Parts: sequence; structure tokens; C-alpha cells
Amino acid sequence: MITRQFGSEVRWMLRRPRTIIGLFGLVLVPIIISFGIWTAGDGGGGPGLAAILQGNGMVVPIFTLFLSLNLLLPLVASIWAADGLAGEAQHGTLRGLLVAPVSRVRLLFVKLFGLTAMSLFAVTLMAVVGIIAGTAFLGTNGMMTLSGTTLSTGQGLLRIALFVVLVTFQMVSIGAVALAVSSTTEHPLVVQAATMTTIIVFQVLGQFQSLDWLHPFLITTGFPGLIDVMRDPIPLGQIWDSTLLAGCYLLIGTGLAAMRLITKDS
Amino acid sequence: MNKRKVTLAVATAGVLTGAAGLSLLAMPAGAGQPPSLPDVSAESLVEQVMTAKPGAFGGTVEVDNKLGLPSIAEIPQLADGKHSARIWTDGNGKLRLALPNGQSEQTIVDDGKTTWSWNSQDNEVTKSEHKDSPKESNGEKAIDPATAAKEIVTKTKEFSDITVDGTARVANRAAYELVLSPKPTEKTLIREVRIAVDAELKMPLRVAVLTNGAAEPAGTVGFTQINVGPQDAKLFEFTPPANAKVTTPEAKEAQAREKLPEAGLEAALQGEDPQIFGTGWDSVIGARIPADAMTQVPAEAQGLVDRFTKKVSGSWGSGKLFTTKVATILIADDGRVVAGAVPEQVLFDTIGQVK
Amino acid sequence: MTTSTSAPVTAPAKQAVAARTRGLRKEYGSTVAVDRVDLELPEGAVLGMLGPNGSGKTTTIRMLLGLVRPTQGEIELLGRPLPDGAEQALPHVGALVEGPGFHPFLSGRENLIRCAAFEPLLEKRKIKQAVEDALERVGLAQAAHRRYRGYSLGMKQRLGLAAALLVPRKLVVLDEPTNGLDPAGTREIRRIIADLHDRGTTVLVSSHLLSEVEATCTHVAVLHRGTVVAQGELTELLQAGGSALQVVTPDVETALGALRQAKISARPLGEGLRVELAGTSAPQVIETLVKAGVGVHEATRWKTGLEELFARLTEAEEAERGMSAVDTLDGGPR
Ligand SMILES: Nc1ncnc2c1ncn2[C@@H]1O[C@H](COP(=O)(O)OP(=O)(O)OP(=O)(O)O)[C@@H](O)[C@H]1O
Ligand SMILES: [Mg+2]
Repeated sequence: MITRQFGSEVRWMLRRPRTIIGLFGLVLVPIIISFGIWTAGDGGGGPGLAAILQGNGMVVPIFTLFLSLNLLLPLVASIWAADGLAGEAQHGTLRGLLVAPVSRVRLLFVKLFGLTAMSLFAVTLMAVVGIIAGTAFLGTNGMMTLSGTTLSTGQGLLRIALFVVLVTFQMVSIGAVALAVSSTTEHPLVVQAATMTTIIVFQVLGQFQSLDWLHPFLITTGFPGLIDVMRDPIPLGQIWDSTLLAGCYLLIGTGLAAMRLITKDS
Repeated sequence: MNKRKVTLAVATAGVLTGAAGLSLLAMPAGAGQPPSLPDVSAESLVEQVMTAKPGAFGGTVEVDNKLGLPSIAEIPQLADGKHSARIWTDGNGKLRLALPNGQSEQTIVDDGKTTWSWNSQDNEVTKSEHKDSPKESNGEKAIDPATAAKEIVTKTKEFSDITVDGTARVANRAAYELVLSPKPTEKTLIREVRIAVDAELKMPLRVAVLTNGAAEPAGTVGFTQINVGPQDAKLFEFTPPANAKVTTPEAKEAQAREKLPEAGLEAALQGEDPQIFGTGWDSVIGARIPADAMTQVPAEAQGLVDRFTKKVSGSWGSGKLFTTKVATILIADDGRVVAGAVPEQVLFDTIGQVK
Repeated sequence: MTTSTSAPVTAPAKQAVAARTRGLRKEYGSTVAVDRVDLELPEGAVLGMLGPNGSGKTTTIRMLLGLVRPTQGEIELLGRPLPDGAEQALPHVGALVEGPGFHPFLSGRENLIRCAAFEPLLEKRKIKQAVEDALERVGLAQAAHRRYRGYSLGMKQRLGLAAALLVPRKLVVLDEPTNGLDPAGTREIRRIIADLHDRGTTVLVSSHLLSEVEATCTHVAVLHRGTVVAQGELTELLQAGGSALQVVTPDVETALGALRQAKISARPLGEGLRVELAGTSAPQVIETLVKAGVGVHEATRWKTGLEELFARLTEAEEAERGMSAVDTLDGGPR
């Protein structure tokens, strides 16, 4: 039964015109980046990871996801979370699901599953397009890391897979918090606005040295550390911290959403 | 009714767990219970440190810098804050260093014959072959390390008290806390230097510098994680990436001299042999920058200097004072420079002696 | 007949009740939406729920379906207490509450397939057939491939009905099902309800259309200001609502005198009298009048319609309270 509901949820999300448009937009990012680095030629590059992109196409997916994690992926996650509960309430379909009946906890898990599956799909899609576009535009010869070592293609793909999982987890955690917001309102836009404002405010707060006591609490603080996937050997410290931080957000978001859903009148 | 209550309780517990997890993550890693170790005298500990043979290990070193240096955009590593580096060594001179800087990284690999330095920012490898300097110097200075250690202990004890102040846990290893504190007669900014010495390997795991009037160390360098034992041999090899530019240090230096403002200042300071005044903790180093060098200081460097110094004057003349928590530098307008881990008054008193 | 709101002393056997509420109360902040509702929905009945706007029909239905948690009171749905038994009871309940709710970007058929995926009683391989059957049943088969966005009000309503009928149900709850339907659609709803009734399905239907209820329902419950002011079998209610005799006579004074002597209550009305038939019968009244020498031109049996009953139940009280309009405003949505 639950697999059927999961399947229906994902199919429903994929049928949404805005999902298709969103995925299309996401896919453009690695293509544009590859193209941009290619046209910039040897003089191109830039700070950080961008500096090693030239002739190193396998890094494009990681660079793309790393960039997108700051704004684009949270936006997509918030849209899915917003449509998941607030959108369903707005269309009156939430009532239909509840009298079907789908228990409220089950409903939350169906929504979380949909969010996770779609996030994984979107991130994987970006990575795959990134590999193709990166290799096509920039060429490749294994994967050169930030530490100056060169990994074999197989190892490179493993790194990309690891990064995909890490980024998806961050995205789902943000989505879970957005789901909690989503359970309190009938207006999907409110959810998106609230989530994106939070992410942006967090990033701004992260810039103030004087607020460094606050930084460990902000999920955005964990984003930059994920770049460690591109170092060799991989230092696990920051990656682990970022993932735990996101895990806490996931727990809080899911818990709040469940509390709200259980007590909610529809 | 009951089922709902249970679900509600589980959900609430989830939220609380998440919140607790957040605060746990935000808390600095606890030092943990100090280990209990057999007593050891300060002298013998220092001796053991000096004579210990370094072994193979890999670990992460964190530099916690609260020196109060200005944050200069051009040299971010100097700004206050935490920086970490990873280090691997096979105990026989082979070494790998990884210095992350934001999203880029500098890797230095010494494979025993060649030192490779790679910077991801400019995709450049600096390759420097070791000069053929076999260990001949060993023959000359063949004093046995134990004697050397004793000598150092004696010398240090002239100006400082050396004590073992309990134990500590550093990077999950038991360590003795060796404390050097300047004798009260020393006119220095530094209150004490604490060195955590690994109880087993007798290797320093952490060094902290504490200054007068501050409870927190002004600077700490220490391992946050270390694994002792043979390291993967591949770590000590380096093959320049396919499309990286490979240069030699000589070429690089020539290039750097033209570019960097710090380099200009450095050149200016290197004008004459430095002179040392005083002894012990409050010794002051002095020099005179040649007048022509003084005028040659690039404008950017001059700007940097002006931004972070205070104008001072006295019977000795006038100049600029640069202060941090652990050191003070005085640059007189006529080119005299004095610096030391001392309060500014000591510098004012000393600058007159600079030749 | 039960016109009071007190709990029925002689409760029918449990099996015979599809749904039952006891002392149901729901507050939204300081607004009391529903109070002291004791509703009984006999198995196999078609219960029409009547009430003016804002009288608490939708709120009651929502509580019956476990969508809204009552502030007070108990609910039993298909033998299970709510909300704990919701998961056992609700699969057998089809509902259309407060208008149909569907996704505009999906076609009617896709919408139903999504609903069907969440129906516990529907096997996966039977979903397709069930969806087609339901579409056929509400007359939407032709438009099933079109996006819900483009549906007319009536088509939307029909799709909502189709969702409620996806699975054979024990109870079907329809909140204002004829909303937005054309006369043909209304007739079809009537037909569908009759059909459900024939198959033994219990139906709860709320409506403003009294004629609708009168035509399709076996039972009626009238809500007013959040409480049940009358409930019972339709025929009983109507009879008990009292019939009267309208007598046309030029001799009103004499007639009134004669009837008063015979202890029959009557009052002047129009060109004659209105005689209450409580405790007497039409022939008796006419006999009394004729004996008294009153010329009776015409005598009509005045049968109480649902409309009159409804008006009496919901408006008489209003007039008594006088300031009721203000109360109603106070109790409006917040
Ligand atoms: N979510 C809500 N918040 C606040 N008040 C509400 C809410 N839902 C209903 N009410 C109030 O409860 C009362 C009953 O509303 P309900 O929707 O049950 O009436 P109804 O009988 O269905 O009316 P209608 O015939 O107009 O559909 C009204 O006064 C309404 O304002
Ligand atoms: Mg209503």
C-alpha cells in the first residue's frame, strides 16, 4: 500500500508543469557553467573550485551542485514542500487524502518520501548532465582534486555519487523544515518565501564574524564544508558535521510538521 | 486518543532531539577528563621530548589565532580565527601537508628527494629538488641529544620556570602539560607557554601562548585529530596534474618579488643584520632600514602599514607602533625598527641603542 | 418523532446505526460552530441535513469524517469510535465535503487515479476499472481526459462525486452535492442517491434545496445555530408538523364560537379560518361547523411541507429572540 502511495506521490510531482520547468532549469546550470568555463579558456577559472575546472570536466557536477546548494536547490525543495501540504490544502485535495483515509503521520512520510525521491532525482540529473557537459566542453582525464592528485574515472564517479547523496540530504533537510511551515498554511507562496528568506538570512548572518556563536546553529554554515569531497584524501570532519547539522534540521522539521498535522483541523 | 498522544509524544521527542543535537554540535568539543599519568619531572620531560625520535603519523592541526592581528584581505591566513591543516609524515623526512584555504588548497609533498608545492588556486606546481647536502653536518654537531636537551633546559631555566602542570587530553591522546613561564623579572607580554606533550610518544601535541591579562590563549596550535603509525605510502608521492604549470622556486620567487607588497617590505627589512638587545623573554630585535629602502617601500605596503599602526613619538624620535597580543613592533621614521614580545615602553627604551 | 435535542432515551440497537454523535461541540476560538449535536444516522437511511447558512452542517460532517477534532463529544462511525477508529471506518465512507478538491493540472481521470491510489480497499489492478466505472456513473466519461482546470462547476462537482463513489461504500456523505449542477445534473444526483439507497448504502446529504431533500430523503435532521432542532423520519416529521384545515366561510365569528365550544383551536385567516387538526379530524370539524349553521364554501386540507416545517423551526425562534441577526453576525467566520 505504502509503495503505491509513494509511487503516486512521485508521479504526481513529476506531472506538475512547474516541476518539469524547474528540472529543466536545473539541468541548464551545469551546461551554462561548462560553456562559460570553456569560452573563458585558460585565462578563466576563478576562486576555489572554479580554478581547477579547466580541462577537468568531471569536477563540473560537483561545482554545479556546490553552487546550487546556496539558493537554487533550497528553492526547489521549498517549492516541493510548499506544494506538498499547503498546495494540497489550497486545492482541497488534502481533505480527500485524509478521508481516503491516509493517516496524518503516513501522509507526512509520503510527502517526505516524495521530497527525497525528487531531490535525489533532481540532484542526480544535474550531476549526470554536469558530467556530460563538463566532459564535452572541458575534456577530462580522470578527476583532479583540490589537493592536486588525479583520481581515476571510477573513483571520480564515486566522489560525485557521494556528493550527490550529501547534497540531497541537505536539500531534504531544508525541505523538511519547509514541510513544517507548509503544514501551517494554505498558501504555498508563504512557504517558499519563508524558506528562502530563512536561507538567505542565514547566509547573511553567517557573514558576520561577531555572530560566530550563532553560526553552528545555521544549516547554511554546513554548506561550504561539503567541498571537502574534492580534497584527497577526504577529510571527513566537516562533511560529517554538516550532515549531522542537516540531520538535526530534518528531525526538527519532521517533528514539527508531524505535531502540526496531528493537531490540525482540515 | 492514545495513539494520537503517542504519536504526538514521538514527534515532540524528535523536535527536542534535533534541538539538543544542534546545541551539542554548537558546543566546542569538550576537553574530557584529564588522564591520570605517572608523575614526571619537568626536566626529564623536556629531555624526553628532545630525544624522542619522531615516528610516522597523520593528523589534523588546528591553529586558533587570537593574536589580535588586523584582518588584511591580502593575507587571510593571518586574521584571527581557526585554520586547520592536515599533515602526514612517515617519520623519515617524507611529508605531506594540506593547507585548505576556503575552497582552495595548497598541498606540499616532500617525497624525500623533491618538494612539491601545489596550489589549486593557480593550478601551479612548484618543484624543488633537494640540494645534495648529505648529512655531513651531523658529524660536526655530534653532541648527543640528551646533552643538548640538558643544555637547553639549563638555558631556559635562567629566564623561566619550567613545570609540569597536570595532564590533558589532546586529539584523544593522553598528554602532560609542560608549562614555561617567564620569571617575574622578565618584562614580557607573555604570561606562559603551555605545551601538551604526548605521554607515550613524547611529541608536542599542542602549544598555547597565554598573555598577561587574558584567560584565553592568544594563540594555540595543536592536533585535533592524530593517528600514529605507518601512513599510506602513496601520500608521499606527487605527480603534477596533467595540465598544471610546473615551475621552480627560483622562477617563482623572481616573479613574487615584483608582485607582492609584503615582499617589498621584507626586502626593506633585510637591509642590515638584525641586532639583539637584552636576553631572555624580553629580548628585543632591532634593525635599521636603509634610507633608500625606506623610500622604496611600495605604496600598497605603505598603505597597509599606515592602516594598522599607531603614530607615536617620544624622546627617541617619532614613528609607528604596531601592537598585537604577543608582540610589539616600533618603526621609527628614520628607519630604525625594534620588535619583541614586550610592552611598547621596552621598545621606546631600547630603540635608542639601534645602530 | 424527536424534536428535542436531548439524547434519545430509547436508543435503537447499535447495529442499526451507521453514524452517531453525542453532545458534539466545536469551538473555533470564541466562535461556537456546533453545540450539543446528537445526530443519529440509521443504517440504510438517506438522511437530509438541513439548515441555514452557517448552521454547522459542514462542521458536523467534517467531525464525522475525522477531519476536524471535536472540542467535546463523541462520534461513532460505522461502529468505530472516532478519531481512533478512523482508519478502520473511513475506507468504507465516501465523501464529498465542501466542494470538490482536485489538482487543476491533472485530467479528471488522472485525478481519480491519484485518489484511487490512496483508497485502502481498492486493489491496485482494479484501479483502472474502478476509475472508469466511477466516471461513467457521474457522466464524465467524455470529459475525463481533459484537465480539471477547464471543467465547469457542474463537471467539477460530478468528479467529486465520482471520487466518493470509487469504491462500494457503506456510507456516502455528500455536502451540498447539487451545488452548481444544472437541472439534469440535479436529477442525476437524485438518481444516484436513490440508487445508493436501493443498494443499502447509507447516505448523508446536506442541502439547501428543500425540495431535493423532500424528494430523496427518508430521514431529516434540521440544524439551526449549531444545534439539531429536529430529526427523525421525514414522513413522521411532516405529519407531526401538524396538518390544518383551511375553511372558507363568510361567517367567521359564528364559526370561531362553535369551534371554541367544541375545544377545537382555530384562528381567522384570509376569507375564513385555519383550524388545527391536532386531536380532531377534518370530518369532525366540518360536522361541528355545519351543525352550528355556518356556511362552508370550501375546506382544504393543509398539509405541512418541508419548507414550512423548516421555516417554522428556524425562523420562529429567530423572531422570538429578536436580536438574532446580530448573534449570527457575531458567530460569523473569523
Ligand atoms: N475554520 C473555521 N474557523 C472559524 N469558524 C468557522 C470555521 N469553520 C466554520 N466556522 C463557523 O462555524 C459555523 C458553522 O459553519 P459551517 O460551515 O458548518 O456551516 P454550514 O451549515 O455548512 O453553512 P453553509 O450552508 O453556508 O455551508 C459558522 O458560523 C462558521 O463561521
Ligand atoms: Mg457548508
